[in-house]
Amino acid sequence: MKTKFINSPENLTAELLEGYTLAYKDQVALGGENIVVRANPKSEDKVAIVTLGGSGHEPALSGFVGDGMLDCSVVGDVFAAPGAQRLFQALQLMKREAGILLVVLNHSGDVMSANMACQLAERAGIKVKQLLTHDDISAGIDAPINDRRGLAGCVPLYKILGAAADEGKSLDELLEIGQRYTANVATLAVAMRSCTHPQNNAIISDLPDGIMEIGMGQHGEGGGGRKALVSADETAAEMVDLLCQQLKPKAGQKAMLVINGVGATTQMELNIVFRKAYKELESRGLQVVSSRIAEILTVQEQAGFQMIIALLDDDHIDYLNNKAANAPYWTTIGK
Amino acid sequence: MEQLSITDFKRLLDHALTQIKVRENEFSQLDAVIGDGDHGTAIVTAFSAAVKSAEKGTEFKAMLNDMGFAIMLETSGSTSTLLGAFFLGMSDGASGTELDASGVKAMFASGLANVQKQTQAKPGDKTMMDALVPAVEAMQADQSQNIKELMQAGADAAKKGAEATVAMKANFGRARNYGERSIGYADSGATSWSCMFAAFADAL
Repeated sequence: MKTKFINSPENLTAELLEGYTLAYKDQVALGGENIVVRANPKSEDKVAIVTLGGSGHEPALSGFVGDGMLDCSVVGDVFAAPGAQRLFQALQLMKREAGILLVVLNHSGDVMSANMACQLAERAGIKVKQLLTHDDISAGIDAPINDRRGLAGCVPLYKILGAAADEGKSLDELLEIGQRYTANVATLAVAMRSCTHPQNNAIISDLPDGIMEIGMGQHGEGGGGRKALVSADETAAEMVDLLCQQLKPKAGQKAMLVINGVGATTQMELNIVFRKAYKELESRGLQVVSSRIAEILTVQEQAGFQMIIALLDDDHIDYLNNKAANAPYWTTIGK
Repeated sequence: MEQLSITDFKRLLDHALTQIKVRENEFSQLDAVIGDGDHGTAIVTAFSAAVKSAEKGTEFKAMLNDMGFAIMLETSGSTSTLLGAFFLGMSDGASGTELDASGVKAMFASGLANVQKQTQAKPGDKTMMDALVPAVEAMQADQSQNIKELMQAGADAAKKGAEATVAMKANFGRARNYGERSIGYADSGATSWSCMFAAFADAL
């Protein structure tokens, strides 16, 4: 049974990127097949921020290409890494003296594509360094970094890095700023209805009615805890508790709270979840200084959300809140 | 044999591809025990890209570099990452059109060093490193000036290393999740890399 407004499944990624770049042509453009760049590239004396990942997660990741955020995103097929060849092509396109910071979400295909492309780039005289994101905590509290996937916690990082790069920070300085963020961000996903793969209609990790799963992955893959669906407040409280076990915040610290809807959960529900999560953080003595409720990284028509909490340093807060950004799916007016 | 020419090296690569193709299904079946069952296809595809690129090679450094690029640009997956890294590393440690025994040793040592930059797997983790590390170490320890003997020492050590993976529990990557179930089967990567080293020695 057809459940999606698509044409030929094999043209899906090309068509969605074409539509996207036509709609926002003042901000983004296609720099090559499955490569999204800014319509107005920034000065080449600044470090380029590049990322990669599969399609099917719109608006991520290409929605955050634009002034003050990403310079380029390299897109794979649905839920699939783009491969070394396309990434190497993008790195050649972004080549500059100041260098390139490549933000890689920890998924094996993306990591391999990045490792291969960076080896080739190094030999082609392209200055590039990788920053791995691994914000998922569903593998367990204090699980080894290799076991932790990169979820939507990468999106605020794009904002931080984009602003810092605009300010003229060097590649090494950007890496340090980014590593301080990735060490102090944690994300947990919950799903209550699964999704279908848009190319083959396969149901991914089917969830029975009335059941939710905490720890659901970004491709709908199961993560662990299935249980009876509870209220928004109970769900939010449990997730904040787990995230704080990982982050180990101290009273007085400044935090970012983002609720990311993954596709089929209403803005109404997201607001209700945010309310409780915010209060939970406040009750721990944390000050929520940066926040957002939005669909930033989706998983098709999965119902659920990702809760992202980060403990921020003052420079992170300044880059997130005070510097302007104008990407199609993230705007900050700035101060 | 005291000198390895470009022509010798191409012969050795061709023979390795032939031998890998003969055992392609065996590698995939071993991989299916604790992985996704595509290792045979993956190594044949990656090695084919390298051999095709090598056809036009006239000098070690450029030829090995192009082989690494060909693998990484034309194929994907962990097998390609590691095999591509091996040839790129070999390129760093080789130059000219003929290598003596110490040149061959340096080339293989440099290949291993670059693979070690790409993976944290160590001997004992039940991966291709269980064949590659002892093979290169045995070559370094061998005092012979005869390149065939050198390659044979590498091949023997790789075979022993691959056989030892049967008793091992997978300790790396996704395969680790299989725990005890991984015991009793050789690692597919260690087996294919051992096959490659055996063919290198046979071809000379």
